[in-house]
Amino acid sequence: MKLSLRILFFLIFIYSSIPGYIFAEDKSSDMIDLDFEIPEVEKKPYSFNAEFKLSETIRGFDEDSLLFNQKYPEGRDDDTFFQTDLNLKVEGSYQIGIVKLYARLNGELYYNDDEDWENDQRTEEAYVSLLPSPSVTLDIGKKVSKWGKGYAWNPAAFFSRPKDIEDPDATLEGYYAVSGDLIKSMDSPLRTVALTPVILPVSGHINDEWGTERDILWGGKIYFFAFDTDMDIMFLIGEEVEDRFGADFSKNISVNFEIHGEAAIVLDYMKYITDHQGNLTEKKYNAKNYLLGIRYLTSHDTTYIFEYFRNGQGYTRDEMKDYFTLVEDGYQEHINSQAMAKLSESRQYGSQFYNRQTIMKDYFYLKVSQKEPFDILYFTPSVACIYNINDKSGSVTPQITYTPITNLEFEIKTSFLLGKDYTEYGEKLNDCKVYAAVKYYF
Amino acid sequence: MRKALLTAFMCLCISAPAFALDGNEMLEKVDRNLNPESFEMYRKLINIESDGSKKEFVMYSVKKGKDKIASVFLSPASEKGRSTLRVGENMWLYIPNVGKPIRITSLQSVTGGIFNNADIMRVDYSAEYNCEKVEPADDGHILHLKAKTNTVAYDKVKMRVYGERLLPDKLECFASSGMLIKTLYFKKVKDFGSGIVRPAVIETDSPLYKGYKSIIVFAKVKAKDLPDEVFTLNYMSKVEGLRK
Repeated sequence: MKLSLRILFFLIFIYSSIPGYIFAEDKSSDMIDLDFEIPEVEKKPYSFNAEFKLSETIRGFDEDSLLFNQKYPEGRDDDTFFQTDLNLKVEGSYQIGIVKLYARLNGELYYNDDEDWENDQRTEEAYVSLLPSPSVTLDIGKKVSKWGKGYAWNPAAFFSRPKDIEDPDATLEGYYAVSGDLIKSMDSPLRTVALTPVILPVSGHINDEWGTERDILWGGKIYFFAFDTDMDIMFLIGEEVEDRFGADFSKNISVNFEIHGEAAIVLDYMKYITDHQGNLTEKKYNAKNYLLGIRYLTSHDTTYIFEYFRNGQGYTRDEMKDYFTLVEDGYQEHINSQAMAKLSESRQYGSQFYNRQTIMKDYFYLKVSQKEPFDILYFTPSVACIYNINDKSGSVTPQITYTPITNLEFEIKTSFLLGKDYTEYGEKLNDCKVYAAVKYYF
Repeated sequence: MRKALLTAFMCLCISAPAFALDGNEMLEKVDRNLNPESFEMYRKLINIESDGSKKEFVMYSVKKGKDKIASVFLSPASEKGRSTLRVGENMWLYIPNVGKPIRITSLQSVTGGIFNNADIMRVDYSAEYNCEKVEPADDGHILHLKAKTNTVAYDKVKMRVYGERLLPDKLECFASSGMLIKTLYFKKVKDFGSGIVRPAVIETDSPLYKGYKSIIVFAKVKAKDLPDEVFTLNYMSKVEGLRK
């Protein structure tokens, strides 16, 4: 089954790679019927959209890395890991008067050598909107609230789950909340003011990612559009969570140059730090996070996105070295005496605090993409780089997306992780990854 | 002699702005002939490749005043729900997957092909350009337009207008270096009702995209009263709700 599926995958892969002209209708522009009826002109109360994705991920393990040794202290039979994913994302909406229902569901069926066939389903969003006028909206239900102006990171996105740095555009799952929009436009230098209040209940049954104690999180965002600049001020407060306040901005400097920034402060942030012996200490402080970025388009249609991120909640180089020492000592102890105590301790700290993306203090992100090179329409090669300034490690990810046929998208991505011993990217589980996917929208 | 020279100089000083004003008035008339100040429309964008294959996008758009336009893609399925907003020279793109508006620039392209964002989110020409010179041409005039600021996509535009209605039939767009970037041809004048008579097709080619062509076909262009709040970031995910 596994083999046949992979053969099927690569057949589709090859099919989708065939240049568009194979499927082209032989029509010159003069033969196109311009007196057409646009079918989409007739509005229906409901809408339905879906995206089917078939993908294959191959990870090359770094068998010398500490996180590999932490996860597989006995080693593995093979040094590569294959996973085949079938993913279906369905979204639908229905509107009656001022009431609109919306839902987005995500179902995944995947196969890998470790787990065999597994599946996962989740409701990413499901909410009711009341739309009495263009200036007033009320949303109740599970909804994504993405705040902030950064591309790779959003330190001011207080009500969002963290982005996947390897795929910053991926859809996220929302939280159950009541939120609204009050918009006021004016004929003055301050052209728009918009208020977005958010009330997010927390308990053991709802939004439990925020805690299991009953609590209500209050938050809000005020948006200003003045002097051709977007500005937001936002906050989140609650009994059981750290209060946080933030601001962001974005502005086009010229026809091809945009700048943006975000800043946030998390009051009384509690950081858990282990020493090299596994003694966990707590450090409470006001964590300051900020981001500055640009988006620049050259005359050759090359787009540069460059961001600097200061993660005030992150670990220092010395704190990470202590953690890596704990992992290494735990592994050596296991090799020498089969003892698991220290290794288990490092695993626990890893899953709770350390084995995450963007875990240290200072990062650069650069993405360079070239629109339609060699006159190949809908073909975009790009390369994304993440650089950890503190330990000089990082990743390089060349990527190609191609849409030769309407609604059929082909994507291939290869990541290389680079870094010395005791660095974030040098000690990750794998040192390379190949990802190929075919997406069909309908 | 000195008196004659002075008189001639004063005449020139007086006549030059008057001539420019005429050109700008003509440009405003062209804008109003192309569409009412506040209106809605459907557009089909067709990108045709050199081998004849094509890709189509259908958009619903609303525009208000000289410089506010919001659009949402209705098809294909891969683009459905994406919306764009332009207020003056500020442009944003909302992608449902991404879940928040991001700033884009006028020279980027949300559809690929020859059209850039400034073409797709076109506001009134008189909002972006001053008419520097008007030249007579066969059955019409050629308006020489110069961008008001450096944030406008094309530094100079040569617009040929014709007939009593002052409709454009050809537009040549130049970069600040003087290089021709693209040429737009306005075709198939159609009566959309309520006094809106305008070209229903804009065809574009570009020396930068040899063999490629992009076409916009207009449908259901009609006046519509719209509140200003529609043209804000918070409303971008709801633009499709304006359709009746």
